Amino acid sequence: MGALGAALGALGRYLWSGWAGATGLFCVAAAWQAGHEAYGTFILPAPLDTLRALAGLAGSPAFHAVALDTALRALAGFAVAAGCGSLLGVVAGYSFSAIRVLQPILTLILGVPPIAWIVLALIWFGASGGTVVATIVIAAVPIAFAGAVEGVATRDRTLEAMAQAFGAGALRRFRTVVVPHLVAHLFPAWTTTLGTAFKVAVMAELLANAGGVGGALARARANLDVAEAMAWVVLVVAMLLAVEYGVLHPVRAALERWRDAGVPWGVKR
Amino acid sequence: MRLAFKAVGHSFLGRTVLDGVSFTLAPAETVAIVGPSGCGKSTLLGIAAGLIEPLRGRVRREYARHAAVFQEPRLLPWRTARDNIAYGLELRGAGRRERHEVAARLARAVSLAAEDLDKYPVELSGGMRQRVAFARALAIDPEVVYFDEPFTALDVGLRRTLQDLVVDSARGRGFASLFVTHDLLEAVRIAHRVLVLAHRGGRIAGERAPPGLPGGRDERLVWETTERWRTEDALFAHVFDAEERDERRAA
Ligand SMILES: Nc1ncnc2c1ncn2[C@@H]1O[C@H](COP(=O)(O)OP(=O)(O)O)[C@@H](O)[C@H]1O
Ligand SMILES: [Mg+2]
Repeated sequence: MGALGAALGALGRYLWSGWAGATGLFCVAAAWQAGHEAYGTFILPAPLDTLRALAGLAGSPAFHAVALDTALRALAGFAVAAGCGSLLGVVAGYSFSAIRVLQPILTLILGVPPIAWIVLALIWFGASGGTVVATIVIAAVPIAFAGAVEGVATRDRTLEAMAQAFGAGALRRFRTVVVPHLVAHLFPAWTTTLGTAFKVAVMAELLANAGGVGGALARARANLDVAEAMAWVVLVVAMLLAVEYGVLHPVRAALERWRDAGVPWGVKR
Repeated sequence: MRLAFKAVGHSFLGRTVLDGVSFTLAPAETVAIVGPSGCGKSTLLGIAAGLIEPLRGRVRREYARHAAVFQEPRLLPWRTARDNIAYGLELRGAGRRERHEVAARLARAVSLAAEDLDKYPVELSGGMRQRVAFARALAIDPEVVYFDEPFTALDVGLRRTLQDLVVDSARGRGFASLFVTHDLLEAVRIAHRVLVLAHRGGRIAGERAPPGLPGGRDERLVWETTERWRTEDALFAHVFDAEERDERRAA
């Protein structure tokens, strides 16, 4: 009963915190509306017109395929980048020599502008989803990697010694002592990785002419249809928000409930 | 015999911390190890508990399970007191029912309230955290318990209570223990034998046995023995002189 109550309480608090998030979004909408009124429909269509354009788009048969294309590419890129980056980061976090070898490689990868990766990926994969996913992975891997390295490197070694004194082998120590600490570093990194995945997906689609929302944006630009272009942007942002607040944050909140315990009453969100 | 050190030595980065350390720990015996800070007590305990591989000498262990209590509680912050107490059991593959039963029983044994079992370490006081750490050690029913200055951070009254708890548990459950401390009074109160580590050189300078048995010594005997050793016994004089000198230099 206690556990269920605590879980329901946490869920309630999470949903309630949605109001604060909505406040932020409405502030953006208000600024947007002000910009629209100052510069006119051609430069910045009104938020409501944009939503109407989005609703119009949603009615068209191709819409779902286009949105799904981008979402799947972004999520595939995110999954590969978060998976590989975190895995490499964990290994590197345990080994100083691995950090030293991998660090300059990452700096090198980060130093190459994403646009150059798109060109290279185009040559390797052609104008396809592969180009988009590959570009996402290359752009996003270093973020997840850095988060994992940081998490493992800052683990509490005295807790590890305790676990060892109680007979925990290396794998058990990793699971019971390192992973719960790692999570705190991985989730912020994954959030950034996810945002990068969606941004790079649209950019790569547009530049590689690989369909998806990026392709639709290119078409809207060619037709000088600003409302439609804005509608596509809103759609991508909505997808990102849905994944971040619908999946990542609740998982994190569930895993890190113990942190709330240390927060005094009245400070709890 | 539970534990035997034979000419154990260890160095960190070429600097000798322990050298030629030999002693044995009998079943149900409590051996205290005293010495000024920095003399290698924690290193010795780490070697005994298998956390540090000694560079020289041999360690023989004749038991199945040991547990440890450290100066800091070292509780897993993301686990409730209950799951912290049951940590060692979980590592041994005990089921949920058994873990909860044992945790509840040991919480009572170390005077933790039942409602504290659902709290996370951040919600517990320092004394309660150390009680949880002690309960975690007892939970696996160890034959040997290693203590590394477990009560140094606590106030005097609480320290007394927990010392009594250690003595009672050791007698009731029959575990042997190696108890590192730099509080001579504490050593005299709880131990069968007291080993003294030298200030420098990492050797055992000598050994003394307080009169009577742990738990059977009254406050006066403990106090007088401590004072006599501190003031009249050359073995302790050199240890604590060195410590005082260091403290004066630091101050
Ligand atoms: N991992 C380590 N690396 C290098 N030096 C260490 C390490 N652990 C302990 N030492 C050194 O060894 C000496 C003994 O340390 P320790 O056993 O912790 O002393 P005590 O517990 O008696 O205070 C100290 O001088 C300390 O600086
Ligand atoms: Mg120490």
